[in-house]
This record gives sequence, structure tokens and C-alpha cells, in this order.
Amino acid sequence: MVEVAVTPPAVLDVSDLRVSYAGAVKALRGVSLSVPERGVVAVLGNNGAGKSTLLRALSGTLPAHNGAITGGTIRFAGRALSSDPAAIARGGLVQVPEGRRVFANLTVEENLRAGGLAAPDQAARAEARAWIDALFPILRERASQRAGLLSGGEQQMLAIARALMASPQVLLLDEPSLGLAPKIVEQVGAVIREINERGVTVVLVEQNAAMALSVADRAVVLEVGEVALEGAADELAESDAVQERYLGMATQAPVPGHRVASRAQPLRVDDLTVRFGGLTALSDVSFTVEPGSLHALIGPNGAGKSTCLNVLSGVYAASAGSVRYGERELTRLRPHRIAALGVARTFQNIALSPAVSVLDNLLVARHRRMRSGFVADGLRLPRARRERAEHEARVREIAALIGLDELERPVGTLPYGTRKRVELARALCAEPELLLLDEPVAGMVADESEAMARAITQARAELGISVLLVEHDMTFVMGMADRVTVLDFGRRIADGTPAEVQRDPDVLKAYLGGAA
Amino acid sequence: MNQFVTLLVGGLFLGAIYALVAVGFVTVFKATHVINFAQGSVLLLGAYVIARSHASLGFALAVVLGVLVAAAASVAIDALLIRRIRRADLGTLAILTLGVDILLATELSRRIGTDVLNIGAPWGNDVTELFGIRIATSRVIAGAVAAVLVAGFWAVFKFTDFGIAMRSAAADGVTASLMGIRLNRVAAAAWALAGALAAVGGLFLTSFPAAGVTSGVGLLALACIPAVVLGGFDSPGGAVLGGLIIGVVSVLTAGYQEELSFLGRGLGGVAPFAVMLLVLLVRPSGLFGTREVTRV
Repeated sequence: MVEVAVTPPAVLDVSDLRVSYAGAVKALRGVSLSVPERGVVAVLGNNGAGKSTLLRALSGTLPAHNGAITGGTIRFAGRALSSDPAAIARGGLVQVPEGRRVFANLTVEENLRAGGLAAPDQAARAEARAWIDALFPILRERASQRAGLLSGGEQQMLAIARALMASPQVLLLDEPSLGLAPKIVEQVGAVIREINERGVTVVLVEQNAAMALSVADRAVVLEVGEVALEGAADELAESDAVQERYLGMATQAPVPGHRVASRAQPLRVDDLTVRFGGLTALSDVSFTVEPGSLHALIGPNGAGKSTCLNVLSGVYAASAGSVRYGERELTRLRPHRIAALGVARTFQNIALSPAVSVLDNLLVARHRRMRSGFVADGLRLPRARRERAEHEARVREIAALIGLDELERPVGTLPYGTRKRVELARALCAEPELLLLDEPVAGMVADESEAMARAITQARAELGISVLLVEHDMTFVMGMADRVTVLDFGRRIADGTPAEVQRDPDVLKAYLGGAA
Repeated sequence: MNQFVTLLVGGLFLGAIYALVAVGFVTVFKATHVINFAQGSVLLLGAYVIARSHASLGFALAVVLGVLVAAAASVAIDALLIRRIRRADLGTLAILTLGVDILLATELSRRIGTDVLNIGAPWGNDVTELFGIRIATSRVIAGAVAAVLVAGFWAVFKFTDFGIAMRSAAADGVTASLMGIRLNRVAAAAWALAGALAAVGGLFLTSFPAAGVTSGVGLLALACIPAVVLGGFDSPGGAVLGGLIIGVVSVLTAGYQEELSFLGRGLGGVAPFAVMLLVLLVRPSGLFGTREVTRV
């Protein structure tokens, strides 16, 4: 390292940027960021910190999300940034959107051509195309396939390649590692380094701090719409503040819950098989959730975990096998009948009414227990009012147990991690005996998933319920589960206590690949 | 049997005209998510311009003018009205186009009055014999023109940069704009196409065996709505097939009116909608429509 005092000229300069949504919610409160030419700058932060908002401001897509810049400036290549997304992209500031967003019904080749539409000329397109063929040989092999058929990792590569077709001066990457296996994340990191070596400036927005800091020269950490930390990437990676917040160094696994007294009955899954057309999503899966226990169902992406949960809650039909809760067979019951037996679930994708307050979202779950009809309720008869007050009191108790306050706020304005806990609380408000949780910590950073783990353990201890937890993050369940069932490619490959499962060679192979 | 074959072929040719108008409808829906009820009055506008100008310009130039005016009117609806409220919901936009349709159709009927304007086609009332079936020449030409236009559109959408921009924008507008695709231009192109196709459809719908341009022609385009719904709303291929089915069904029910008299008179006008309902009962998203898929 040579010590140079001169800072390279900033190609992208954000100064005191303020953004609000719907004229009210302040998402960015004076963010400044300077991206030097040919640099790699990482933007880190929790969900709700303002990372996506910053990217939307840079790509001109705020109006599409009902947001607006209320103050500050963005300068790109020495000029004020255009407000038209297409003009920004054609000017050389190109974004790879979050969730990849490849055009699923177009072929790989057509996706690349779509990206090339923003290139300055034919020569630039041809040059970019040759480079992409070298960088991503897999895309050349699958050029005539529909993009929707690619795996998640391949789609991410295609999304990056598509943006490179525009010969960008600055490439904005929104959460490129989201939902990808560790090995693929490593590949994405390597690709980003290679792109940068070709002279492209990179702005990398990531929750995965370890990956982002290993690639970036500089980093900023956003927190509730402001820059909380800023500095050279290697220094930040060493700093205690970042290690605690984003790498989970100082976090401790929650204490495993002991078996609690429970009203619940055992849930027995026997030789469950689910086929979609010719595809067998689950084959001969069996396990038992003992009353009052916390049972984890884990496995890599695509193992069949969500399918299993969807059969248990009546959303999908079983092709063969049985699911019994106590004495009742669940496979032929409609979802609301299963709910009436005391089996509640949460969803992987949040399914709450965003414009309605937390309290009202939770009260919906009490519907099954409310006796007064809508007429009595609408007329606010004393009986109905008394009933509502009772339910409201119980809902507040459960919310407190889960660590929710601000019950009057519309759900849509809450950060992601909190919304997931509202979902958990809503399921609990139905007073279930058995709770099915679908990836409760997906997409969360360390402190958010810790809060979720506390909420789950607490709820089980206080309410005496059984919990079936579906999760692909093995470390999360190890600290809290009594028993673990591991699925891979629709088959059960292990079943036992966390300690037993952790040592199982098949499990190691499924999770770590050939390296184990 | 002979009558059946004659009616079937006649129905397919009529269906080809419906298919053209339906493809325009689907193009607009895919590019801008607008259910464009103004398509009917734009069709009437195109036919009206051709009928009024063929005497002075000659037929070929009159057709060009009619197509251009209809395309321009269609683009104007998008640029002046729709673009400002692009993110409004489906219902609002559909009702807006319904309003435009009423305004434009009212003005055109005021101008046409009770007249029947001749479209001035050089093929007039000629009848062609095709494999022993006698059929109006205008319908045969309509079929050929429709086949060429549909094939042309397919090739453009499939192979050109413009087609890729259009399909990207239809698939995911925000992402397409991040790739430098100008959504307003894509929208304008889609509306222009729809207007032009409507004018061509109008030309053939008012040629022989139809009497000419009357104020009621805009309503004829209503038959394209069952065609579009039947085909699945967002599928150009479905629109073509839907158009052909509706053409055949309406010609067959009209042809066998006597035999079907127990169902009442005027069945030809109702049959397309009846077929649409029957298909929707079996396939709620139409024959080729994208089913709404939600992951839980």
C-alpha cells in the first residue's frame, strides 16, 4: 500500500440526501456518500435502514414506489442526475435490481439483448457480449433457454450480465447474495472483483456484511436513514462496532427451551408424499412433533420444507401418506377446518394488511373466538363492546410477550423484522395448540433474528404450545430446537436431537457439498 | 354439409378481422395494463376517415390516412390521458377509456347521422370462388392481410430489438426502465399499433358483405372483447385463436338461425358471449392466459 493523500475524483456524489414516502415516512435523513472512480463502495445496514431507498433514488425509480427526494443532491459524472430511469441507465449508471428480476419468459439471450439496449453503440455491445461470454460460460450454454428456468445463482449471474451489456460506468448491485448458498455467494463476490478490475465502479448494497466487506474498498453503514459508520472496508471489518452488529460475533445462541406443560396433542406425519405433475416434491417423509416441543424441519433450498408445511396447513393436497393431529386426520381437511383444530401458521412471505394497525391485524386472528355477530358489533352493543375489550386485552398481552409495542402503527410502516414478529403474534392470537412457522428469520440480520428467537422461545414457554419450525439456516435452530428433522430433495435424511443431526454425515454433505 | 363448410370458411375469414382488432387490444394491455374500451370508436374513426377521403385521395391513400389518423388518435389517448395516471388501478383506466369511447363514438355518429358511407374498396361486391365455395372477395383479402400482419408482428416481437424492449417492458416495467428501456415510447408504440390494427379491421368490417360505414360499426368491435377474454387477455396467440372462434361461432349461429329459432332471434349477436362464458367456466384465465400464481 502506497500512502497517497490525494482522493480520486468522485464519479458519484450524494450529498445530504433526504427522501420520504407518501409525503410522510422519512426513509433517508441526510445521507452523504462519495463513490470514487473505479472504487467498490459497500452500503450496509439492516432491513429498513434505507439501503433500497438510496438505490431507488440513484436509479430514478422512487416515484414508482410513491417516494420523492425532499432535499439534497445527487451528482453523477459531474452533472446533476436525471430523474428518468431510462436516461440514467443510458448515461452509464446501471442497476442490478434486488431479487434479480430477470425477464422470466424471455430467453437468456433475449435478456442480454434487453440489457444491451442501453449501450452507447453497437461496438460497445459486441465488446460487452464477448466479455460476458468469458465471464459467465454457463449463460452461453443456456442461451436459448427461458431465464425463468435458471437456478437462483444462474439468474443472479444473468442479472449482472444483463446490466454489464449496457457498458456501465457505475454498476449498482442490490443485495446480490440474497437467498443464495454460501458457495454461490463466493462466486458472486469473485465476479464483482473481476468487474471492478475491468474499470467499472461498483456500489454494492448488502445485508451480508462479511461478503460485502471482503469485496469493497470503502463502506458505509446505514441505520434508520442516516450514515452510522463510514470508512475503509478492511478497517470497518476489524472494528468492534461492525463485528457486533453485522457479523454476529458477540451474539449468543438463545438458551434451549425446556419441555413445557402443554395442552397440545402429538402431530404424526407418516410416509407423506406430494407430487406436482411429474415432480415429486416430498417422498415418504415421516416425523412426530411431541406435545410442547419445538421441532425444527430444516434442509437446503428446494428440499421440500415449505411443501410439507403447506400440506400440514391444508394448502396443498397430499398424494399419499397421512398427517394426524391427535386422532384427527388432516390431509383431507380444508385450511380453515385445520385452523379450527388449533393449528396456526405463519407465511414465508409476509401476509398482513399493510394499511391496518398492528392491533387490528392481530384482532383478526381472534375472529374464530368472537361470538357477537357483525350486527351487534357494528351497533356497538354493550355485549359486543365488552367482548372486544376482552379480546383486545388478550391481544395486548400476547403482543407484549413477543416484544411488540406501538400497536397503533400501520403494519406497512414497520421495519421488516418487526413485521415478521407481528405475523408470529397474529398466529399466536388464534390461541393455537400447535404453531407452524415458515422461515421466520429469512432475510433477517443477526439482531433481528435474535429478537425472533427470543419471541418464539418466550411464546412457547408462556403459552404451552408445540412449535414446528421450518428453516434453512441450521445455526438458528440448533440453539433452540428439541428435535430436528432434515430434508434434502424431498426425502428425510436425518432425524434426531440437534447434536445428533449436526454430526450426521448425510447432513454435512447436503449443507456443505463435497467439501465435507 | 355444403352449407356448413361455406359458413365455416366464411366464419374463419370474419374471425381473421376480429383477430386483428383483438391483437391490438392485447398489445395495449400487455404494454400498459389498460383494458382499452376505446378500441371500438377508434375502429369507427379509421373507417370513417377512409370512407370520407377515398373520393378525393383515391382508395390506397385513403387507407393510409385512415390508419395514420386512427394510430394518432390512439397514441393521443395514451399520451394525453393515460400517461398522467399510469399507476392508477385497472378499473379506473378502463372506465377512462370507456368515457373516451363514448365521446368519440358520439361525435362520429353525429357526423355520420343516418347515412351509410361507402368504404370505396376497389373489390366492391365481388365474389371469389375458393375450392367451390363462393365467398366475398373483401373477406378473402381481409384473411390474407390479417395473416401477413399477424406473421409480421410475430416476427417483429420475436426477433427485433424493438420487440425485445416491448416484451421486457410488458414483463416487468420497472426493471425494463432500469435497463434503459423508455417505457413511454414502448407505450406509444403499442397504442399506435392498436390504432392502426383497428383501422384495418374497420376497413374490412365495413366492406361487402357489410353495407358500409354506419354509426353502429363501433359496436361491432364489441365482438372482439369476447375474443380477447376467450384467448386469455395477455396472449397475442390467444387473441388470434379467440378471434377465429368468435368469427366462426357468430357466422354459424347466424347461418343456422332457422334451425336454432327455438333459442330466439338475433342469436348471432349473443353467441360470442355465450361461448366466452362457457370457456371461462372451464378455463378461468382463458385459453392461453397467464394464470395468477401466488406462492404461500
